Amino acid sequence: MIKITELQKFYRTEEVETVALNNLSIHVKAGEFVAVMGPSGCGKSTLLNIVGLLDDLDNGSYLFNSIEVAKFNERKRSDLRKHNIGFVFQSFNLIDELTVFENVELPLIYTKVPAAERKKRVEEVLEKVQIMHRRNHFPQQLSGGQQQRVAVARAVVNNPKLILADEPTGNLDSNNGNEVMQLLTELNEQGTTIVMVTHSEHDARYADRIIRMLDGQVLMETVG
Amino acid sequence: MIKNFFTTTYRHLWRNKLFTVLNLLGLSIGISAALVISLIVYYEFSFDTFQRDSDRIYRIVIDANFNGVEGHSVGVPAPLGSAIPNEITGIEQTVPVFQFQGDATIHVRIDEDHASKPLLFKKQKDVVFTNNDYFRLLGYQWISGQQSSALAQPFTVVLTQSRARLYFPDLSPTAVIGKQLTYNDLTLTVSGVVGDLDKPTDFNGREFISLATIEASSLKENFMMDVWDDWMAYSQLYVKLSANQSAQAFQAQLNTFYQQHNTERGKDITLSLQPLHDIHFNRLYPNIGGRIAQKSTLYGLMAVAAFLLALGCINFINLTTAQASQRAKEIGVRKTMGSSKRQLIQQFLGETVVMTSVATVLSILSIPIILRLFSKFIPEGLTADFMFQPGYLFVLLLLVAVVSFLSGCYPALILSGFTPTSVLRNQVSGLTGQTRHAGVRKILTISQFAIAQFFILATLIVSQQINYSIDSDMGFDTGAIFKFDTPRDTAETKSRQLLHTVQSLPGVELASTGFHAPADRGVSFTTVSFHNGTEELKPTTQIRWGDEHYLDVYGIKLVAGRNISPGDATNELLVNEQFVKEIGFQRPEEALGKFLNWNGNAVPIVGIMKDFHHQSTRSSIMPLLFQKNNGSTFHVRLKPNRDGQSWSHAIAQIQKAYHGLYPDEDFNYQFVDEMIAQFYEHEQATASLLTWAMSLSILISCLGLLGLATYTINTRGKEIGIRKVLGATVGSIVQLLSKDFVKLVVIALVIASPIAWWAMNSWLADFAYRIDMEWWMFAGTGLVAMVTAALTVGSQAIRAALANPVDSLRDE
Repeated sequence: MIKITELQKFYRTEEVETVALNNLSIHVKAGEFVAVMGPSGCGKSTLLNIVGLLDDLDNGSYLFNSIEVAKFNERKRSDLRKHNIGFVFQSFNLIDELTVFENVELPLIYTKVPAAERKKRVEEVLEKVQIMHRRNHFPQQLSGGQQQRVAVARAVVNNPKLILADEPTGNLDSNNGNEVMQLLTELNEQGTTIVMVTHSEHDARYADRIIRMLDGQVLMETVG
Repeated sequence: MIKNFFTTTYRHLWRNKLFTVLNLLGLSIGISAALVISLIVYYEFSFDTFQRDSDRIYRIVIDANFNGVEGHSVGVPAPLGSAIPNEITGIEQTVPVFQFQGDATIHVRIDEDHASKPLLFKKQKDVVFTNNDYFRLLGYQWISGQQSSALAQPFTVVLTQSRARLYFPDLSPTAVIGKQLTYNDLTLTVSGVVGDLDKPTDFNGREFISLATIEASSLKENFMMDVWDDWMAYSQLYVKLSANQSAQAFQAQLNTFYQQHNTERGKDITLSLQPLHDIHFNRLYPNIGGRIAQKSTLYGLMAVAAFLLALGCINFINLTTAQASQRAKEIGVRKTMGSSKRQLIQQFLGETVVMTSVATVLSILSIPIILRLFSKFIPEGLTADFMFQPGYLFVLLLLVAVVSFLSGCYPALILSGFTPTSVLRNQVSGLTGQTRHAGVRKILTISQFAIAQFFILATLIVSQQINYSIDSDMGFDTGAIFKFDTPRDTAETKSRQLLHTVQSLPGVELASTGFHAPADRGVSFTTVSFHNGTEELKPTTQIRWGDEHYLDVYGIKLVAGRNISPGDATNELLVNEQFVKEIGFQRPEEALGKFLNWNGNAVPIVGIMKDFHHQSTRSSIMPLLFQKNNGSTFHVRLKPNRDGQSWSHAIAQIQKAYHGLYPDEDFNYQFVDEMIAQFYEHEQATASLLTWAMSLSILISCLGLLGLATYTINTRGKEIGIRKVLGATVGSIVQLLSKDFVKLVVIALVIASPIAWWAMNSWLADFAYRIDMEWWMFAGTGLVAMVTAALTVGSQAIRAALANPVDSLRDE
């Protein structure tokens, strides 16, 4: 599903050029659950942003489902993203002005799903993550674990082929963290490809494969 | 999607109430000013635009040049109207409009059979003499009577519905036909009733007397119906040209025809066609009792509206972009979920449209109050209902669109430009706080304060000039002197008797009769020449008339010679110092005894008056003659108010004596100092408007500054906390937070000062006697702005400085 070859990414300021990713190549098959690990600043999140088409790459190739997407313009990326990729963030990133229901509904609005269908699908997914009873609450009225469950619901409501999770349990206690990991595992079992960045060895153990990074390069890969 | 946008917008605005209120207030003030001003401008520019074929309607006016002095008149020789339809081709309608002489008002009396005494309506305005074509020209709606013949016969009158109701409240329009009304001594029969014109027009006739009445009555002589080489402003003439007639060719025909009837006296005269659309604006041709709108004032008002609107928009931009970091997460998430930049721009522009629409609704609701509050700026006849005209509704929509676009564009571009990766890494505060966006906000804040300081300077300078003009020595006494008119054409014995009574009153120091006060609204020129042995000198000269007490009433000093003699002798003149100079004498004494050629007679100069201002201080002092004449205007100098007897008592006694002699007339008097203050009415209105513009611009700027300061201080919570932990005092923190804003105000002053200096210098150039712009005016303006800014920012800075540092550091 994802084939990245010799990826390079630089961050430039007026005086310094920092190499974030250096000739990195990875390959993720459809249905796989991959964890990316490494110390802070090794380029994990940058990789995830590039995979999620939120960030450009400077050199290299990126094939998504065998299509070269490295040179896609903003409109094409946005289009590909909204139909194929779901995101789960460490800090949840729910919109404070929208209720639980409205937050989860958002991706369906951008993919122009009719209102009745939206309602049905949002309710289904809220049931699935067991947060239906909080559907009319605002994010700030929920606990961290509940917010992340909403974020997961939002990530999967469009039935994406790929879920990108950036330290999904980083802001959660162990109970809530386990619940979220359980959810991701279930989604993976149902066929969704998952790429997860994490610091947690515990969470990484849920994955089929662990990619370890250092200084913008893949250090080693281990199969779980 | 739209519902989702609106939901977010509503909740975002509700959550940030302070910013929402500041934004709404700023926009509402700007929009209210723009709405009221555009209402005034739209109203003024819609005068007489409703007539059919208005581009073919003209007023014939006179342009003259006498010895290099230009003159203009709305009046034309009276016989012109009846002559041209037969003599000149290309006319579709000819409509003479005559008004009663004097102040164009008339007493109207109704002698009802059963009433014990007649009903009297004093000083009725808007009574004109005209013909049937008047109603066709302006598209009046006929309610009763025969349109084609209503004004064909002498001694007939057509009333508008409002006047018919006033005179005959119990009768239907049909029943009014045949009723009689007496206009002074003319008894007329009502022959028609028409609907009132409900659109802005300078044709303000409400009672229309048949033109034939003039011919058939003693008025014929008064209106000089057979005189071709003289004219009065009371006889005007409108024409509607045929469809294919060029105005230029018609005017040429008209002047050729006129010169055939003209004598030597009219050789310097040109008859011109004044287009209908020019009548409401051209100060050269003022209607009697009418109102001329000044385009320059309207443009000035539009500039004020534009500035206030710009301030509101700048506020919106500043506050919205300052708040951008709060929206950043939403933008990042929306983009991650698949929103395009275009959709986000639409969303944020949509929010601006919502805010602008709410502000516009608030402004519309406040219009009736504003119109009442600013009634002295509001043209007569303009009410809030006028905004429901279809044309104005279009202006309203345009205003919402323009304000939304101006306010919303920049924030929408900034907000939609956030990249999700930066936003979701929490790097937005870095993007919005210190970088070029903050630079743009600073520039906008500087612009706001530059506009505000421009208004402060302009208000200060205009007020100083007005005070200078009003307080400056006119060269004659103005305190405790008042004047009043007695009716013209009454026996002179009455006037003498009144003067004797007035002079004998204990509260009166001295009284005189004449016409104009030394400085008066009216201007009277005379033609006079002096032969100095080699050439005939003809200075452009003004004239004043009065009896032998006139100079003493006004304290006008003689620098040489003597006052005019008592008695009826008129063959001697006084002149002013300027006149002496213009006929070539160095010293006043040299002109004494010299003879002037005046009205065909050689008249000696017997005295030289010290120069005094005969108009406002905008004009230079001109040569002036003073001639003996017992005119109909009384000039009364009251005794100083020392013995406890009030002036009002003296005035009451004069009023009693006046009514004893003229029982049907109203006694209207005016103090001379009040009249002089009225010379500067236009300037005072400008000053008043500027004061409002200044106050509102300061208010809007401060609202913006308050929002910006609140935001900046909130984002610097951690810095303030660390500084306090390290030992900073409250004072040093307040200073730290305030100085950046005060710096912006100083930069704004540096920008505003030269612009204000240039603009006000141009304005002051209209005054022959004017103030100098002093350094303290600019320094004072800067000080006022800085203190205002410091107070605005200071309140927030003190709050931040007093906060417990533990809270902000824990938050971080």
